[in-house]
Amino acid sequence: MKKIFTNLYNWVDERVDLSDIVKFMSKKYVPVHSHSIWYYFGGVSLFFFIIQVVTGILLLFYYKGSADLAYESIHFIMSKVEFGWLIRSIHAWSANLFVLAAFIHMFSVYFEKAYRKPREMTWITGMLMFFLALGFGFSGYLLPWNELAFFATKVGTDIAGVLPIIGEPIKIFLRGGEDVTGATLSRFFGFHVALFPGIFTVLLFIHLLLVQRQGMSEPLNEKVKKTMPFFPNFVLRDLLLWLVVLNLLAILAVFFPAELGIKADPLAPAPAGIKPEWYFLFMFQTLKYIPGYVLFIEGEILGIFLFGLAGILWVLVPFWDKKSEQGRQNKLVNYLGIFAVMFIIVMTIVGWLL
Amino acid sequence: MTQEIQKEKVQPRRDFLKYLLSSVTAGFGLIVFYPVFSFMKPPKQREVEVTSLKIGNVDDIEIGDSKIIRFGNKPVIVIRNGKEDFSALSATCTHLDCTVQYKKDESVIWCACHNGKYDLTGRNISGPPPRPLEKFKADVKNNEIIISKIV
Amino acid sequence: MKNILSKYIFVIFCLIFSQITNAKTDECFNCHSGLDDSPSKLFKNDIHQKVGLSCSSCHGGDNTSDDMEISMDKKNGFLGIPSQNKISEICAKCHSDIENMKKYRTDISTGQLEELKKSVHGAIAVDGKGMILQCTTCHNAHGIKKVTDSGSLVYPTNIPNTCNKCHGDINYMRKYNPGLSVDQLAKYRESKHGKLNLKGNRKVAQCASCHGSHAVFTSKDVRSKVYPLNIPETCSTCHSDKEYMKESNIPTDQFEKYKKSVHGVALFEKKDISAPVCNSCHGNHAATPPGISSISKICGTCHALNAELFGNSPHKKVFDENNYPECETCHGNHLILVARDQLLGVNEGAVCAKCHTEEKNPKGFKAAVKMRALIDSLVVLDSISRRQIFIAEQKGMEVEEAKFKLRDVHQAELEARTVVHAFDAEKFSEIINKGVNASNEVISEANSQVDEYYFRRYGLVVAVLIISLLALLLYFQIKRIEAKQNL
Repeated sequence: MKKIFTNLYNWVDERVDLSDIVKFMSKKYVPVHSHSIWYYFGGVSLFFFIIQVVTGILLLFYYKGSADLAYESIHFIMSKVEFGWLIRSIHAWSANLFVLAAFIHMFSVYFEKAYRKPREMTWITGMLMFFLALGFGFSGYLLPWNELAFFATKVGTDIAGVLPIIGEPIKIFLRGGEDVTGATLSRFFGFHVALFPGIFTVLLFIHLLLVQRQGMSEPLNEKVKKTMPFFPNFVLRDLLLWLVVLNLLAILAVFFPAELGIKADPLAPAPAGIKPEWYFLFMFQTLKYIPGYVLFIEGEILGIFLFGLAGILWVLVPFWDKKSEQGRQNKLVNYLGIFAVMFIIVMTIVGWLL
Repeated sequence: MTQEIQKEKVQPRRDFLKYLLSSVTAGFGLIVFYPVFSFMKPPKQREVEVTSLKIGNVDDIEIGDSKIIRFGNKPVIVIRNGKEDFSALSATCTHLDCTVQYKKDESVIWCACHNGKYDLTGRNISGPPPRPLEKFKADVKNNEIIISKIV
Repeated sequence: MKNILSKYIFVIFCLIFSQITNAKTDECFNCHSGLDDSPSKLFKNDIHQKVGLSCSSCHGGDNTSDDMEISMDKKNGFLGIPSQNKISEICAKCHSDIENMKKYRTDISTGQLEELKKSVHGAIAVDGKGMILQCTTCHNAHGIKKVTDSGSLVYPTNIPNTCNKCHGDINYMRKYNPGLSVDQLAKYRESKHGKLNLKGNRKVAQCASCHGSHAVFTSKDVRSKVYPLNIPETCSTCHSDKEYMKESNIPTDQFEKYKKSVHGVALFEKKDISAPVCNSCHGNHAATPPGISSISKICGTCHALNAELFGNSPHKKVFDENNYPECETCHGNHLILVARDQLLGVNEGAVCAKCHTEEKNPKGFKAAVKMRALIDSLVVLDSISRRQIFIAEQKGMEVEEAKFKLRDVHQAELEARTVVHAFDAEKFSEIINKGVNASNEVISEANSQVDEYYFRRYGLVVAVLIISLLALLLYFQIKRIEAKQNL
């Protein structure tokens, strides 16, 4: 057995020179300090993404992306396909945990100021992947074509529609027409399984390549003395965490399987208590609190504009935070970050309870 | 001397850990791949498609005969009136949910439970049924009968 | 010419006569009775004449003057012959005035015109000039008698003929209600009510007893006394009155029994107007209790399949020979309860053993026992099926497949309860078996879902154990590697 592996390795090594990579990996060290724990959330996010790809491909075996059949096909997966319930529930749970892990990963990088030179590109690709993850969530939510999804999509695309000038074309582009119909479903299906994964893979590749190339960022205010080898120490620790996470997923999937609800009926009145997915809740809730008109600007437009501005500032933090780049503390960045975290947590809780 | 003893002790323990690790990894592979392969195995039952359904060739039903098919979770009665003239109605009696049947000699749809009768358009014409039978669309395309819900 | 002359002489005579007699006498009547015309002749015996009313009470004018120029002057309020709605309005002037009617110490009600107006007869006539009926249509104009006077057109024994004047006239009725038959009187005369009515019995029901007098509505009108929901009450006003029914020898508890029956519950509680009411079995105009031999035909108008099955069953011949009323023997008449499975068999509450006693008829006795056991077993299986589905559903499992099959169990039960009327144990058990098979399928389907539930739970336990163990081993492995690195 061992001999076969060695032979195979030698066969490949002879042709593409693997020894360089192995040498590089074994020479690579991960800094060990009191904030080391945050390094693991990137890996956990990656694990969730892998799970999403695997379960997503499996679901594609039976899912039918049309308004007539989408609901029925998921019903079929849940009731007739062996372990269909498990695969779909894991896909649904992993989607949520993926976004959660990405949130944590993003904020940890932000507070550690790990985005500072020379890691600007890593930060930007990461942020783009984060937005794509939200896009995955939004488009995937519609695919079961149930009542909640239908109306959440309606509301979500409506919000895009209030933007001046570009809003209406964006809405029509997203919906594939004036209204949320089967055309929207086909579109979202395309985004969810082809467009987004394609872009995501490219970004992920760049992101991981940069991480390997540049190594882990070290915290600003702590002198790091200890390190550990990336391979095998860090990789094995990563694997250990992945196993724990897998356990969690299995338990969640069995005890809280994904629900299907009732099939979407475009003519039915909107049910009470439509809420977007939790990761959109804070934005949804904020838009509700902004008054109808602020000065001459429509409240909703102002809200979207402010969120857009905050998002752009956030993405561009490596370029305006010059202090961190020079190795000094930037209190403003910290305060902004704490405000963002508090804001998101409070608004999410308020949105959840109300 | 003591070191030698320790070495002897360590050796079998490491082997044991390795052995355990590889066998548990195999078990892990099993619990991951068993659901995955089961999932990919085509399910026994026919897929459920509820909005429209191909029920077979035109010649499966003789002229003036009928067939009860399963449409989603409900039975539907399909009657062949003419060469390409089919009618499809819900086969659930509106009285007490029995399944109706076509009575050729009387040209009515008949419920055996309480002698409820419907004409071929589904209208309740005699007996206890309080409402007509729900109608379905029956089309013939490429010599195949297609039953669909009327939206 | 001669005629006119004689009339003039007469009038002059009248004038002289009136001068002689008291000025308070009714000059209209005096003069008109002298003319010997039909109104005055009839008015002589009119109840209104007797209580002191004059021609002018309705026709207007001045009845104190014997001068026609004065008495029949429009200035004095003379109306001439009133027509159409004017007629009824003139009657109502007194009859709708409670204070006025009190003067005559009468117990007749007021408000008849109001009732007539809203009734089916108060609709506008085909000529468009007024209501279809005026008071005088039924009561006549002159010669009106008290309703208790056998000479009155609306005296109970006269009513059928009075109504029939219009309702028996096909040419007339066609104008208003071409779908309504015109043979009610003929049918009525065939009924117990009609026969007694003809003999002069005032107490039996006639048209107005059921349809009302002034407030007559069509039977489709919810206000009508003969609207299906109201019929039992209408019939019971007489038939539940022991005092009233004293002379006849029929019981008076039909309404009480009916109310408790399956039909009565359907009618009164579920407001199901297709449920049979009194006239559905007894007929309406030709009301007569159904004969023994025709019961199954009458019940069979609705319960067609049961009647047909019974007609072909071995019971039919025996029942006919022994003069047993068919359906009624087991189900009763007015107090027909929901036919439960308990009716079948030989236990308490069952009816088979009434004839099929163990000693005299062991074969029938055994068949009854067997059939009851069969239906009972199916009912039990049905409830087990439902419970298993419920259990599986509670666990959040997919049960639509099982629910779909449950329909067959339900169907078999219903079919069995119908086919029991063929009294053929073999046919019966055939259908029961269908249900038993279906319910076995349901139970195994539901059980497999419950198994699936536990499979998921146990599967999870195994998976969690393996994953945790692997994680633990990995942890030791890391420790080992790191221990080695530190050496």
